[in-house]
Parts: sequence; structure tokens; C-alpha cells
Amino acid sequence: MNNYETILIINPNLSSKVNEFKKKFEKLLADNSFEVKKVEDIGRRQLAYSINNHHKGHYLLYRMQGDPKNISEIEVKIKYDEAIIRHLILAVKELSGEDSVLLTEALENKNKKPESDDAAEEKEVKKEKPIDESPKEEVTEEKSDDKEEDA
Amino acid sequence: MKKFQLPENFDYKNTDILKQFITETGKIVPARVTGISASNQRKVTKSIKIARFLALLPYTDMHQ
Repeated sequence: MNNYETILIINPNLSSKVNEFKKKFEKLLADNSFEVKKVEDIGRRQLAYSINNHHKGHYLLYRMQGDPKNISEIEVKIKYDEAIIRHLILAVKELSGEDSVLLTEALENKNKKPESDDAAEEKEVKKEKPIDESPKEEVTEEKSDDKEEDA
Repeated sequence: MKKFQLPENFDYKNTDILKQFITETGKIVPARVTGISASNQRKVTKSIKIARFLALLPYTDMHQ
């Protein structure tokens, strides 16, 4: 039994079908008596350079245990799967149960995105505000007039 | 020479740390410049090469 880390980069056009793909791949691992310890769905990520004319890729990380004899069978299956644009199986000494840096980064970016949406909404609100402000200014002027009258 | 931050465990996935050890053109900074131990330099180099293969880091700045 050895520990392995598998990284798959999936065609970004099939990103929506990733759950089906994960089921299929996990079945393949199970058939070859691999025990999956942790799956990380990192999601779509900008590639540092284009691979097969793809500029983005959907990253999946599997931490698993299994027999080194069966690795080659999985490699063959991966090789002829057109959905996978790149893959790497690494033997590691220990399997860490913690989230990888890539996943935490991806989650942070996801949390940032809604904020930017909020910011966009705020901008829209701000755009509306000037329209509202003009009547408000009139109101304030009236108020100041009132104050002057009071004075 | 404490210019570079070294992690406890080198990981090809931690691109922020590895980016310290590549130049603007994507080359690996030589050990005589980084000043880190030979053992650490080997680990850095290995991690960078894995990260490059997985398109986490560029090989060069000439990628289209």
C-alpha cells in the first residue's frame, strides 16, 4: 500500500459535468482497489500557459492509497480520456488531511467574488443616488431657509 | 540573506512561495543568488518543475 496524490486537469468546457466525471473516476479507482482518502474539487483556474488551446482548467486533487501495480491501469484509462487535458500521479510519503493551498485559494476567490458583486450593486445604487440627491438638495435648501427664518 | 521565505514542507501547490524562486522570465533563481542550502534548493527546484508541468507556474514569459 502506497500513498498517492493525483492531480487531474479537466477540459474547462466539461466543467459543468464534473460531478459525473468524479463519480466515473472514483469508480475506476475503486475497481483498482484504491482507497480515496480525500477529494478536492479546486474548480476552474487560469492556466499559466495554454494546453491544447485551453486557457483555463478544472483542477481535481485526489489523495489516495493503493497498490502500485494498479497505477499503470489507471494511467492507461486517463491517457485515453479526452476530458483530461493533463494529469500527474505522485507517490507521497504521507497523506495530509488538510486542505491544499490551491483549494483554500480557490475558496477565498469564491468568497471575494460575491463581494465584488456587492460592490457592483453598490455602484448601481450610487448611480441612482445622484438622481435622488437632487430633490434632497432642494429639501436641504428649504430646511436651511427655514433655519434662517427661525434665526 | 534572509530574503526568501522557506516553508516547513515544500509543496508544488504552494505557488506563492515558489514564485519567490523564479525570475520575471520564469527561470529558477540559482543557488548562489538564493543563498539557501543545497538541500532546500533541490526541493525548491523539484517543486517548481512539478508546478510548471501542472500549469501552476510558467516555463517562460513567452507563452502565448
